[in-house]
Amino acid sequence: MNPLHSNSAFVRSLTRTLATLPAYQTGAALADAPPAFTEVGVRYSHYSEDDIDASSVIFGATSRYDIDITQLWIEAPVGASWSVALDVQNDYQTGASPWFVGTDQNGQPGVIMSGASIQDNRVEVGVATRYFWADGNAGLNVSHSDEDDYEALSMAFDASWNTAGNTRTWTTSVSNSRDKVNPTQGVIPVFVTNEALDTQSGYFGVSQILSRTAIVRVGLNYTYSDGYLSDPYKLNDQRPQSHERIALSTGYRHFLIDANASVQFDYRYYADSWGVDSHTVELGWAQHFERTTLTPYFRYYSQREADFFQVVADLNEPHFADDYRLSSYGAMTVGARWAINLGDWTLEIEGERYWSDANWGLYDGDPAPALVDFWRGTIAIMWRFD
Amino acid sequence: MLGTTSRDEKTRIMKRTLCTAGILSAITVQTSCMQIETVEAWDRGYLAEDTMQWETDARSARLKGHVYTSKEASTGGAGAAGGGCGCN
Repeated sequence: MNPLHSNSAFVRSLTRTLATLPAYQTGAALADAPPAFTEVGVRYSHYSEDDIDASSVIFGATSRYDIDITQLWIEAPVGASWSVALDVQNDYQTGASPWFVGTDQNGQPGVIMSGASIQDNRVEVGVATRYFWADGNAGLNVSHSDEDDYEALSMAFDASWNTAGNTRTWTTSVSNSRDKVNPTQGVIPVFVTNEALDTQSGYFGVSQILSRTAIVRVGLNYTYSDGYLSDPYKLNDQRPQSHERIALSTGYRHFLIDANASVQFDYRYYADSWGVDSHTVELGWAQHFERTTLTPYFRYYSQREADFFQVVADLNEPHFADDYRLSSYGAMTVGARWAINLGDWTLEIEGERYWSDANWGLYDGDPAPALVDFWRGTIAIMWRFD
Repeated sequence: MLGTTSRDEKTRIMKRTLCTAGILSAITVQTSCMQIETVEAWDRGYLAEDTMQWETDARSARLKGHVYTSKEASTGGAGAAGGGCGCN
């Protein structure tokens, strides 16, 4: 049992002090050490999109995607300075997606759906190792993702080191991914075979302890992709061959002693070479109870449409897309996470609802007719042992 | 590095890079000017709580991020990007 989650106030208080010993420390700006326990876990999630409004569909099914996701992992300390982790994830998806946007007899835009016959299975395997020293840690992660029509091999390296009496943590990471696209022929015709995409990404950030109950961070992420970036399953989709992205992220955590709760705030500003800008704000309140922690959260997202997005694509342009994901809109998410401590076992249950609407955005733009709403539910169980 | 990106796109990305760097600098300066207390190692119990971490559960956060990335035009944040997928 993790003593930090004890139902005894005295034990919690005592172990908060013990938690400052290296063996218990996992957070930012704290001395570094491998995890004290081996952890084995399994998580099942179900993702379900609402049916598309029948009045927005010219032809095809109104049902959309359902995805079943299973994650398995083991993470263990190795010796005094290392840890290793193995992650396996399986996604099984079925359903339909928008194929293209046309106009009906009244000249109004409407969606032609792909048909409810798409099925795909994705398996991702990741191996990670991490080395810890007194003032920091560094990790290497290799993962391989394989599905019927897409394969990705990625490698990432990250390092964190503490300064200013271990109150400030600097973090950097770099990654590379080589993807292969081999679309499968189905009900809808596909005109693409054997395409490739290379992506490089880098991040640099810093977090600072402000007090015994508050910590803040800021960081900048740059990503560059070169290769096939269009969606092969959309009829009218021809995107540029390169894509540059910048994301500025900040975060703040504050522990309220009297309330025995943490306030969580995160903000991200994103901009890219396709003309998309976005703002993302997420607020959470993590309330501790005797054996459980309940964290309701709210997320708001708004993006500006890509330069080449049109509700009905103009095929005479050098680049064009009618993909609703490139349109201007706003989205809200409401969710909650419930973690239940059962001694050496932890049970986690999470659910969220996502709504999107062209009128909720901060930016102007013509509304895309296929914006998505979805549910996501998750249940996980973890076992920790020496 | 800019590959086949057009001149206009280069100009725009440069402007945004400068703008972002400016915001980052301003936040960094503001952060450095905040009231920062000296917190001894033995007094960091609250900071060690799971709910005070940037990601309470890294695997849950990665899955959540993957869902948003699949359905929104924006990606990235507090870390380097991972591998892609054929999510549509």
